[in-house]
Amino acid sequence: MFRLFDPLRTALALLLFGAGVLRALTGDVFALEILAETAVFAIAAMAFDLLAGFSRLVSMGHGLFVGTGAYVYAGLTVLGGLPPAAAAPAAVLGAGVAGLLVGLATVRTRDVFFLMATLAFGQMAHVFVLRSPALGGDDGLTGVPRPDLSALGVDLSDGRTFALAAVLLAALVYLLLGRLLASAFGRTLLAIGADEGRVRALGIGVARHRVAAAALSGAVAGLAGVLAACHAMYVSPGLFHWTFSGEVLTMALVGGVGSLVGPVLGAALVVELKYAVAAWTAHWGAVLGLFLVAAVWAGGDGIYGRIARAARALRRRLRPGPGGAHVRDGAGSA
Amino acid sequence: MSYWIVQLLNAVQASMLLFLVAVGLGVVFGLMNVVNLAHGAFYAFGAYLGWTVLQATGSFPLAFLLAPALTGLPGLAVYALAVARMQRAGHLAQVIATLGLLFVSVEALRALWGDIPLEFPVPPALAGSVDILGTPYPVYRLSVVALGLAVAALLWLVLSRTIAGAMVRAAVDNVEMAAALGVRTGLLFPVVFVLGCALAGLGGVVAAPLLSVHPGMGVEVLVPALVVVVVGGLGSLQGTLVGALLVGLADTFGAVMGPQLSGAAVYALLAAVLVLRPGGLLPARS
Repeated sequence: MFRLFDPLRTALALLLFGAGVLRALTGDVFALEILAETAVFAIAAMAFDLLAGFSRLVSMGHGLFVGTGAYVYAGLTVLGGLPPAAAAPAAVLGAGVAGLLVGLATVRTRDVFFLMATLAFGQMAHVFVLRSPALGGDDGLTGVPRPDLSALGVDLSDGRTFALAAVLLAALVYLLLGRLLASAFGRTLLAIGADEGRVRALGIGVARHRVAAAALSGAVAGLAGVLAACHAMYVSPGLFHWTFSGEVLTMALVGGVGSLVGPVLGAALVVELKYAVAAWTAHWGAVLGLFLVAAVWAGGDGIYGRIARAARALRRRLRPGPGGAHVRDGAGSA
Repeated sequence: MSYWIVQLLNAVQASMLLFLVAVGLGVVFGLMNVVNLAHGAFYAFGAYLGWTVLQATGSFPLAFLLAPALTGLPGLAVYALAVARMQRAGHLAQVIATLGLLFVSVEALRALWGDIPLEFPVPPALAGSVDILGTPYPVYRLSVVALGLAVAALLWLVLSRTIAGAMVRAAVDNVEMAAALGVRTGLLFPVVFVLGCALAGLGGVVAAPLLSVHPGMGVEVLVPALVVVVVGGLGSLQGTLVGALLVGLADTFGAVMGPQLSGAAVYALLAAVLVLRPGGLLPARS
């Protein structure tokens, strides 16, 4: 079961978001860039977690939703001349619709077949955008504006302010998704992940919940896309490519899915590592690859799963009371 | 008319290369229930090893024979280090770990052979072209088609007419039952895995004169090969062959119809199959 205010999860989330805010206030220009990129990936990885960690639907197509969010936002502002305040909700909604459609089309698939189907839809969108001259084709769209919040005294064109806003947005997404997943809806998603047939036998609409989760996951990933477009002030078809989806998948799985905070941790670690490694070797791919293999050898439930297990073992050792040894949460759900 | 025949031949030739890569991927999936995304690496290794053998010996037959055999060695290493340990780890863990191995393999290729694409010439014996209904068509591409069909026929014979083939089919159907009846799965699995890697290596070295040899080729072939396996259905030879032909046709004719469709046709095919028949067209297990 997913508890929003599980002590370990809350402590880690406070640590991560707190460190993000601190870094946004004190970091140099380079650190601010890393921070904004981390926030984009953290939101996308949390969206991925909604499907992978709870209903065990591992998507290789989250780039489709991130790309849809980014392109709807960029298209409406750059090509349509709409103000960002109108384009951003439309972009999130558009990505949600994309999630709904993919959810509907894949509702009969599971496991690797779900992964392949999402990969297929993502690649189709990639090719479509790549060959659409109206959307800039291979070059993408440039000159994407950031929202103007000067009425609130906030200047998003400033790198520090933008990084801070990005971290706060990621924290807000964490809270809202956490609230949702701690509800009956979240428990139904977990149940679908554990045994779809049994949930169906209980009279709960599996398809309805799966499609709703996919739409929500798409919308959240679309928000990451809007943030990415605002950050770079540029969108490119690379957002749709399966290697981008693979990066989101990697971060979420390395951090540990089913915990919501794990994907945030994974995004922070992998983005940080990417830039640290770039300083001393051109073989980032090898480091990322070994990281992935190590993540599986370490137990398969990611770094958060590892920490949670260690914490449980410690708690048992400290309090060997009656029944204490038998209190156990399901793997990855504590 | 001749234009369409050339396109059809191109499509079949592309299908045969995909078949050589996908057959190992599919059989490992069907037999061991392991999703091995690192399989694309063996295709790239085959091309690079073939190039090196060609540089060292100047002999095309040696390059084409040794490349698949040598590809079996990294195959055996990947089996022992990763695949054998991950059979019961679940598809998720397999996808992450083998994706990691694929990334490592790309960097290994870059470190060993460099970033610059390598030229692999067409063997002089197969360099010419023949007339097909008045249109010249390269002999080499026709040879690729012939090789693909020969490999498919050989695999079919082995699978349907030999004891080893019967063991593989039995293990695909129900591995516990096969083991209980005396099939040595501990020996069968690595042998089948390494053969699958060697076939991917053969696909790589055969593809080398048609494309340039570059570090990303294993990643590029992976997604279409996975599409072939899923479209065809897991673990069946006929399914893989049908899947390869459909993907090759969709890709080639999608590109002919219009640049907007190039590439998208393959994924539209996959999406259609998954929506209508989520288990693939010809799965080995129903």
